[in-house]
Amino acid sequence: MKRILGIDCSPKVEKVVSGLFGGNDDVQYEQFHDGIALNGYQMIILEMGRNQEHVVQQICKLRYACNFQNIPIILINARKKDIPSQPYIIAGATEVLSLSDPLPACRHIMNGYLIPGREPLEEEFEYLDPFIKNTCHILQTMASIHVEFKKVYFSNTIRIFGDVSGIMGLSGNAEGTLVVTFYWDLAKAIVAKMMGMEEGEIDAELIHDGVSEIINMISGSTKKEFVGTPYHFEISLPSVVVGPGHQIGYLQNTSVAVLIFQVGTQSFALHVCIKPKTTLS
Amino acid sequence: MKAIVADDSRLIRGIIEKTAASIGFEAVQAGNGREALSLLEASGGEINLVLLDWNMPLVSGIDVIRKMRGDDRFKKIPVLMISTESEEDRIQEAIRAGAQGYLTKPFTADQLTDAIHQVLEKH
Repeated sequence: MKRILGIDCSPKVEKVVSGLFGGNDDVQYEQFHDGIALNGYQMIILEMGRNQEHVVQQICKLRYACNFQNIPIILINARKKDIPSQPYIIAGATEVLSLSDPLPACRHIMNGYLIPGREPLEEEFEYLDPFIKNTCHILQTMASIHVEFKKVYFSNTIRIFGDVSGIMGLSGNAEGTLVVTFYWDLAKAIVAKMMGMEEGEIDAELIHDGVSEIINMISGSTKKEFVGTPYHFEISLPSVVVGPGHQIGYLQNTSVAVLIFQVGTQSFALHVCIKPKTTLS
Repeated sequence: MKAIVADDSRLIRGIIEKTAASIGFEAVQAGNGREALSLLEASGGEINLVLLDWNMPLVSGIDVIRKMRGDDRFKKIPVLMISTESEEDRIQEAIRAGAQGYLTKPFTADQLTDAIHQVLEKH
């Protein structure tokens, strides 16, 4: 049974949603509020209000509350008027559906989003484990921060809903991209700890620099462990992308492992997209 | 005593400078290898230690070492390379180029202090 949360849904939308899922799933409803907890839900359904800016803000807050988990956010337009979906998709909505859309099509789309992300195979953990171990070790060593690995899923989506990402391109035997993504507050706290400074003393440039250095260290310390394997890669200079909901292009036909880590009550994610060489030269 | 701290990360330069200062070094910072070489040129022989990242824009750390070792004015200045490059062949490459010590990132302040002391002792 899937757990679905309907937010700000009118009786009309609740009725349609019940019809879509037919009682096979656990659908709960509540009003939108700051600090809403989304843990354990497989889908969020939000009825669109009239004020576009307000809805965009709601979606952003929900996306942050997902804590890097790939929970689909479905926006329902219960009004008759057709609206452009782009501002909502950019804000973090997965899909915008209208009550005027044919019900079977809506059911098909929503069921597609309810298919859970693939979990790693045992052999995939062989290349993911060094990244997990080194990510925890780096933040423990450089910032005395205890990091706990929480979960991993595979995704083909290219959207990253964080505030700041450090990116490292991989080349050589294996090719791909490593991306570490933080929300701003956690990035600032980590950089402050690394520098032994108060958070108020940390400026944006230092945060960019710190995130860049973290992905540099994760890549550099992990590549040593792949010497002599098809996963061995070379690194270049890292770069940093800033802004909520930014997009990173990954290798085509290569799925991305999203590793979620926890620091206290906050999370960050490491995206590992790596294509090993099929035969060792 | 004076040290050059060369790393393209301001954060890492700050961390290294703090530790170097705690053991009596006044640090000057360079954001890439070219700046490090310029600082050496301008130093008038007052530099006692160079702390170098490997992967930096414009001129890499390994190229800085090679240039230093090929210049009579700088060839005896001790160099500690501090890098994310952690494979043994890379470490040996840096040592062959003329680094007296090699410290891989991540590091603690104590590990950096020990590495600096070891480099100075070898010198």
